[in-house]
Amino acid sequence: MTATTPDAAPSRAGATPTLLPRLLPANGQPMELATHLHVHGPTPYRGGPRMLINTIESAGLTGRGGAAFPTHRKLTAVANAKGVPVVVGNGAEGEPASGKDKLMLWSCPHLILDGLQLEAEAVGAKAIHLYIHREPKLVQRLTAVLAERAASDLDRLAVGLVTAPPRFLAGEESALASRVEGGAALPRFTPPRIFEHGVHGSPTLVQNVETLAQLALIARYGAQWFRLVGTEAEPGSMLTTLQLANGSGGVVETPIGTAITELLRLTEYPAQAVLVGGYHGAWLSSEQARHLTLSNADLRPLGAAVGAGVLAALPPDRCGIIESARVVRYLALESSGQCGPCLNGLPLIAAALTQLANRRSVPTARADLQRWSSLVERRGACHHPDGTVRFLRSALAVFAEEVALHEAGRCSANSYQPFLPIPATAPEHKHDWS
Amino acid sequence: MITGTAFWYASRATGVVSLILFSLVVVLGVLVNRQGRLPGLPRFAVTGLHRNLSLLAMAFLGIHVFTAIVDGYAHIPWLSAIVPFTSRYERLWIGLGTVAVDLVVAVMATSLLRERLTTSVWRAVHWLSYAAYPVVVVHSISASKDLRSGWLLILTMTTIFTVTTAMAYRILDTRAAVPRPGLVHEKLVRAEQTRRLR
Repeated sequence: MTATTPDAAPSRAGATPTLLPRLLPANGQPMELATHLHVHGPTPYRGGPRMLINTIESAGLTGRGGAAFPTHRKLTAVANAKGVPVVVGNGAEGEPASGKDKLMLWSCPHLILDGLQLEAEAVGAKAIHLYIHREPKLVQRLTAVLAERAASDLDRLAVGLVTAPPRFLAGEESALASRVEGGAALPRFTPPRIFEHGVHGSPTLVQNVETLAQLALIARYGAQWFRLVGTEAEPGSMLTTLQLANGSGGVVETPIGTAITELLRLTEYPAQAVLVGGYHGAWLSSEQARHLTLSNADLRPLGAAVGAGVLAALPPDRCGIIESARVVRYLALESSGQCGPCLNGLPLIAAALTQLANRRSVPTARADLQRWSSLVERRGACHHPDGTVRFLRSALAVFAEEVALHEAGRCSANSYQPFLPIPATAPEHKHDWS
Repeated sequence: MITGTAFWYASRATGVVSLILFSLVVVLGVLVNRQGRLPGLPRFAVTGLHRNLSLLAMAFLGIHVFTAIVDGYAHIPWLSAIVPFTSRYERLWIGLGTVAVDLVVAVMATSLLRERLTTSVWRAVHWLSYAAYPVVVVHSISASKDLRSGWLLILTMTTIFTVTTAMAYRILDTRAAVPRPGLVHEKLVRAEQTRRLR
């Protein structure tokens, strides 16, 4: 499924686009430099540091990588930090259920690159990197795009391309900083947070590629325009990766605050549960999801979050425990093995949940899972154990009846075909972090 | 009332205790670096023991230096506590002791300031421990005759043998000291083959 687009002709340069999609090209074709310049015009430099930050603050833009942290506060923190800042665009999301960053890098790279230049100007940075997955086609495309921009003399700073290993945690900020330095993409202990001590000790501004593209649009069309869609507390649009209960799906651009029922077409394709926020996110029962919108205001009270905008509707014929066990097993394998609780705890949790899914669990399995979850939570250098535990707990709560069935040796599923996408981890990737 | 000889005996005694404590600190340091375990102790306790024993050793070293200088018998100047080879009494052997003190103080200071230093600076200075240890041993054996006979000789030999073995292990064990990211796969496979997980 692609974005539903109004059949309007591409707007002239300088004209204000009001309808969605704002980020993705209206015709679905990758936007090349000439089209980009025709539609959006040249990079709107402000002429000095910090001048863009007020606009971003009144727009109310938040990070689209998952944490929803106010972008202007990150910009201010880096601009105020001691030393010459480094700006990195993060396009290496490891979330298998999300496809938005890759799609953006492919179809609107120039918005992202404009955003990087504007941020570098705003914080007074002297170096820019773009961090992407090391897929030959993607690397080739972006190398060409960067060369084209360099030839047109559009960019004030050269952009260095850094490739990430195909790992779930490769996009984690401190892992990214380590990789940009030339090391392995392994998370580090924080503090120091990377906005004060990141790449080679410089204050480092890491921004998700969607955030960068949104910022490039706000710089052109203003804060008021940005607030035309979305809610008062969470303005703007966001890219959402959908997986409907009928198996179809894709990336759509949607206003924040759109009803989940509408996005997943739950009346048409009923689901037994909805996964929100990806594999570090949470399951919601379909009763819960029916009354909620895609916004942190609605989701946070339930322990869920918008995250990187992943929504998946589990069809009624599948088993939530089997699906969750596959995800937790994948997450355990994606531990970087640096912290004891994660290294020892996640394999135990994954194995116990798999036993439960296979209806071969010991009577204490449920209690064991809860106990081990408390033992690993908040005890890692990064958020990996916390995100995994959040996912597990929501699964045990939402699929409580299914757990009871499995403990009694039964399962309600009619289909055992895997539903949620799990990348097949090739053996050579097990030790490969750079 | 402490007499002059009391200071002298105190200095010799605390010197011996310092040697033993610093030897233990080096062995525990190797164990921490190689991620080894002590029976009945969790891994963090090995690190804690390494750190606390080093503080204790520093206390004994302080008393050792202080009593040696305060005592009137050998006329060691205060300067000799910091600047090597400034003592007329046993210039070389006392001087080596001062060298060891300087190295150990550098290692200790960087460890106390570890949160404010980069890991590479801290590690580079910490390597000086391996240089300091032989200096400590030569100073201990040469500056006084105490360790050259009887049960103190046996104790000294045991200490030197233990530390040398630990250092050899440190050099010869080439496995990466950092956790291996692939280890989690081995753990998962093992857990999945276990019927009753604990």
